[in-house]
Amino acid sequence: MKFFTSFRKKSPWILHYNAGSCNGCDIEILAALGPKFDLERFGVINTGNPKQSDIFLVTGPVTYRSRERLVELYSQIPEPKVVVAVGSCTTTGGVFRGMYNVEDGIDRYIPVDVYVPGCASTPQLIIDALVSAVEILERKSKEIEKPFKLFGSITTIGHKLSRLSMAQRVDHDEN
Amino acid sequence: MIWVWIALAPVFGGLVYGGERVLRARMQRRKGPPLLQPFYDMFKLLDKRTLIIHAPHALLAVAHFLILWFTVAAIFLGWNLIYIVFLHLFAQMMLVLAGYSVRSVYSHLGANRELLMLIAYEPILLLVAVGFYLCSGSFEISRILQGEGYLIQMPLLFAALAMIVPIKVKKSPFDVGEAHQEIVGGVEIEYSGIFYEFLYMSRFLEYLFIYSFVFVFGGTSAWLGAVLVAGVFFMVNLVDNATARVRPPQMIKLIYTIALPLAIVNLLWMLV
Repeated sequence: MKFFTSFRKKSPWILHYNAGSCNGCDIEILAALGPKFDLERFGVINTGNPKQSDIFLVTGPVTYRSRERLVELYSQIPEPKVVVAVGSCTTTGGVFRGMYNVEDGIDRYIPVDVYVPGCASTPQLIIDALVSAVEILERKSKEIEKPFKLFGSITTIGHKLSRLSMAQRVDHDEN
Repeated sequence: MIWVWIALAPVFGGLVYGGERVLRARMQRRKGPPLLQPFYDMFKLLDKRTLIIHAPHALLAVAHFLILWFTVAAIFLGWNLIYIVFLHLFAQMMLVLAGYSVRSVYSHLGANRELLMLIAYEPILLLVAVGFYLCSGSFEISRILQGEGYLIQMPLLFAALAMIVPIKVKKSPFDVGEAHQEIVGGVEIEYSGIFYEFLYMSRFLEYLFIYSFVFVFGGTSAWLGAVLVAGVFFMVNLVDNATARVRPPQMIKLIYTIALPLAIVNLLWMLV
């Protein structure tokens, strides 16, 4: 409904996921949520629960162990949802780019709406990113958004999801 | 007129919750969300896609909210205090059943903790009701509100009640049931969209439920009741900002070794 859509930007609840980050960006996110930068004044709550959140804050170059959880968490967030990639590692792979145990950024796996640069990125940049994420959130529809890849232990769920056209099925994994 | 108040109870509770968030933010020297933030959250949740685990799980949240609303209506209408306490117990049982009805481990953990919280605060609520009966000769809230001098006759019961307020409104040190990131909301974990909103609104009604017990201590003078509510509200938030979360067994131990003896001593003193 049109009336309720305008309230999306007033209460963006975030889910923070660490996909193998060095904790630099995580500390900056916590600083942005803390009393000094006070993200709560925009109505932001760090829910920690994918089913109740709107904005997916991801840090870290996606390691092999974390990519399944990344895709699973992404598909558990109900639409409308926005993904924010925080830090150089998450956007491009950063200093880890090309390494054998690391994927180069999260946009191989899930669609990203806002990229935040910096190693580590600053609370000011994160707040800026959240403000633009909220604008994107307001424009989005409730259509189902799919992750690009499904693999590992969630392939069984993935087959189910692809039957319900909630995800694309990838038969050959180039890894 | 009273029906209008009953119909507006969730809105009123939402304002209390919003005010509390502002107060807590000011205590931490930050700006905090706007006063109407709970309503913004509710409107946003209406606009989200809803994921349902199974129908009874979703409906138990609605039942929890409706029974709680009925409980608050019973308080506003001045019904029997014992009846109100057990109605509230009924509402909590809906939540516990909802927690056990899904396979999520965190949901089970939350339901366990919800039961432990019930064990902790239920005796105190009943003893407070008994204390009111001994003072005024009736369990009816409308009769109790015509009496006076409750605070002088049962100060220790008031202290015991003030100790269990944080359990009910889920504040530190007794916020084990929700426990933000520790068990990710407990029974709330599997809810989303409009059904989470019912749980979110039932939190507002919990505020009205527990603070109306505090209000009744004022007796005929509504001013004294209002001052007591404001004082307890402020203290609870102060303690919430200053303390860390205790473990569930520690919570039970604290309540049973401090609050329960206080309440019993007060009752014995009134009887003798």
